[in-house]
Amino acid sequence: MKRDHPIRWSNLYLLLVFIVLYLPIIYLIIYSFNAGDTMDRITGFSWRHYLTLFADTRMISIVLNTVIIAVLSALLATIIGTFGALGIDQLKKRSLQNGILSLNNVLMVSPDVIIGASFLIFFTFLGVKLGFGSVLLSHIAFSVPIVVLMVLPKIKDMSQTMIDAAYDLGATKWQTLTRVILPAITPGIFAGYFMAFTYSLDDFAVTFFVTGNGFSTLSVEIYSRARQGIDLEVNALSTLMFLVSLLLVGGYYLLNRYNEKKKIHRAKASQEVDDA
Amino acid sequence: MAGNVIEFRHISKSYDETQVLKQIDFEIEAGKFYTLLGPSGCGKTTILRMIAGFLQPTAGDILFEGQRVNDLPANRRQVNTVFQDYALFPHLNVAQNVAFGLEIKKVAKGQIAQKVEEALRLVQLSGYGNREISELSGGQKQRVAIARAIANEPKVLLLDEPLSALDHKLRKEMQSELRSLQRRLGITFIFVTHDQEEALAMSDQIFVMNAGKILQSGTPVDIYDEPINHFVADFIGESNIIPGKMKADYVVSFDGHEFDCVDAGMKQNEPVEVVIRPEDLDITAANTGQVNVTVDTQLFRGVDYQITAHDVNDNEWKINSIHKTTVGQLVGLAFDPEDIHVMRYGEDEATFDARLERYE
Amino acid sequence: MKSKTAYLTPYFLWIALFVIAPMALILYQSFFSITGHFTFGNYEQYLSSGVYLKMTVNSIWYAFIITVLALLVSYPTAYLINHLKNKQLWLLLIILPTWINLLLKTYAFIGLFSQNGSINDFLRFVGLGSHQILFTDASFIFVATYIEIPFMILPIFNALDELNPSLVNASRDLGASAWQTFRRVIFPLTMPGVKAGVQAVFIPSLSLFMITRLIGGNRVITLGTAIEEHFLVTQNWGMGSTIGVILILAMFVVMFLTRDRKNKGGQIR
Repeated sequence: MKRDHPIRWSNLYLLLVFIVLYLPIIYLIIYSFNAGDTMDRITGFSWRHYLTLFADTRMISIVLNTVIIAVLSALLATIIGTFGALGIDQLKKRSLQNGILSLNNVLMVSPDVIIGASFLIFFTFLGVKLGFGSVLLSHIAFSVPIVVLMVLPKIKDMSQTMIDAAYDLGATKWQTLTRVILPAITPGIFAGYFMAFTYSLDDFAVTFFVTGNGFSTLSVEIYSRARQGIDLEVNALSTLMFLVSLLLVGGYYLLNRYNEKKKIHRAKASQEVDDA
Repeated sequence: MAGNVIEFRHISKSYDETQVLKQIDFEIEAGKFYTLLGPSGCGKTTILRMIAGFLQPTAGDILFEGQRVNDLPANRRQVNTVFQDYALFPHLNVAQNVAFGLEIKKVAKGQIAQKVEEALRLVQLSGYGNREISELSGGQKQRVAIARAIANEPKVLLLDEPLSALDHKLRKEMQSELRSLQRRLGITFIFVTHDQEEALAMSDQIFVMNAGKILQSGTPVDIYDEPINHFVADFIGESNIIPGKMKADYVVSFDGHEFDCVDAGMKQNEPVEVVIRPEDLDITAANTGQVNVTVDTQLFRGVDYQITAHDVNDNEWKINSIHKTTVGQLVGLAFDPEDIHVMRYGEDEATFDARLERYE
Repeated sequence: MKSKTAYLTPYFLWIALFVIAPMALILYQSFFSITGHFTFGNYEQYLSSGVYLKMTVNSIWYAFIITVLALLVSYPTAYLINHLKNKQLWLLLIILPTWINLLLKTYAFIGLFSQNGSINDFLRFVGLGSHQILFTDASFIFVATYIEIPFMILPIFNALDELNPSLVNASRDLGASAWQTFRRVIFPLTMPGVKAGVQAVFIPSLSLFMITRLIGGNRVITLGTAIEEHFLVTQNWGMGSTIGVILILAMFVVMFLTRDRKNKGGQIR
């Protein structure tokens, strides 16, 4: 009975952390239904700000831009990063591998402003026009190392004998790559794509530096709107984005649970067959 | 030499400074069960990987059905391997694993299904085709690995310590299954192991290896009864090895006495080693056997007692006896001339074989 | 041999163009004045003018406070979550807010902290009267800590999760109290997670600039704010790059201090 006490205190602490963590988000969501125009006082329920949002073609095109950049940059970064990881793994010299990995990690640990500022100098130096292209290139650039870091451990985990087995069964190098290696590291590739995608969606600082005047992503747009004060259309947008995130996370979690349960179930079944 | 499916001619392999294989020569006949037996690091797996095509020799020629195959890559050799860790593809199910090699060869779909079914039936896994690899037990994975290899109908099947991860009971079961599978398929098996019991139980021919060399090759019975040297005698089964002197043909002296034996062809007074297997020693009353020993320890092992003892010259004796004795007791040991096997120091296999040929 | 280089071509191109070239360019740029002449003036100015040095010290100080606060909140949180039944689900709930765009969360705090916002409503309700919250150092530190907490929890949670529970049992078995077990076994073994968390929080905290603008109301100037100002407002890229070089040096110092000392043997992870 004595043990109950600390546990209750700890639950209270966790509750507090979660409240603080979710307070701003819930706050945003509640005020997105406010009939008024400020985040001070709720004057009534209304879908008004959602209607404004759906009618705001500039905002909608910016959301589309953001998604397109995220999908494309994550895709290209995944391709470059996966082949990069495969190549790094092939290198015989350990010191060379480590050297390349250090370079790989430079962009992982560099502050966003440094990446943004240095890319700005780089694009200006090359005479690349700032806009969609420069933003896409930047997003690919800072996503590549994440993909490498997600894929490389999967490659290292893969047993060498599995690849030997593929050759042994007659597969060529290409067949071994496409039929054995890539399927084996698929979870890493997906995780890499997913991370790259969210990094891209979330990025503000780098984009802010290299976006120029004509092109904008969601983060940059919210920043400029927020500097002008409260606009409940932004609240409506965040509510929708939160719902999408929630659906994604929930779906992902349930899928994982389902797969694991199925596995355990079937493993048990085969165990019983063994014993019989 | 139509019967030879694989031949190694003067094969050496070195990594940087270290030589892992030293001038290996052997021939593998079609349709037999071979075992490469030796302690870890003796080079047995290196030989297997060379046959599979994963390693190239530093010097020498590998012949496959009379053709030099040194530079033929693994994916174009008619041999398949059962790997120690099974190396099953985790993203494919059982049937897809077994079908892998056939699909690579672009065998017709219907034929693949039929061959997969046949291979699974041979390893007693009929009906397991749709299982995921992660759902299988160790023994089942083992069988799938074998099925995957034999589905390709290789001329030679290589098995790299495939039973080492299984528990004792399952291992025994798989030993007899592998043996009968080899007989049914009629293809050559080359099995690598460090377990001498396994080698004796399964093989037609054993190559005993140590430190990059083949020390002795022969049938299990030959190798057990007539080991070429101290290492082989010690590695294969249990043995009492006592230094002695060859007095004349069929007479050897050790432990201060002269004994009749069945070995000959050595120089007079040549220093030799004498091997007597523990199970060939009978315990008798003191002074009624050939040697008197004092019992040091006694362990009951179910089928028999394992006894250690020492004689007056402080030679240690191991005896396996179905009769119980008492620790500290003086007993006699009885053995026949056929139980004594005499080994010369540093005799190579060719000389050894030639000598045995002469007087047997 | 050929396929090996083909694999790596785009990746090496990426390293050359987006890792080496930009870093080299920022160093190169730092030696140019606003009028485009080669000069050491930027560094001279940085070292001699009190403004820049004070800003650097301030920035490091703020980052330090943010890191310490985040650690103080995160370690107990990670520890408690690790003892919950559905810990992966709870962890997911910690990560979930990081999926909400950073700007949106910052934006929410503008509303929460404003003169007539909910926090002030609450303060008035409990009789403390309304206060200026927005555009203060405290609000900046609070929001920055809020943003960074999940990034601190995650590595610590992973370190705790990997900890073999029998080690804790062994420690208790050998007579250590719960606190002794924590201090002598659990904390030392989760140190790599703490270090990773510090790395993940301290460096970004040096360079946060939109929070200083939106919440700190330009009262707090971090290295990041200064770089943004020089690049995008005053267009003095030379000076901006100089501060950038300083920031990169600071980053290396942090990395060096939080490196994994056990991993000297050239292991990859």
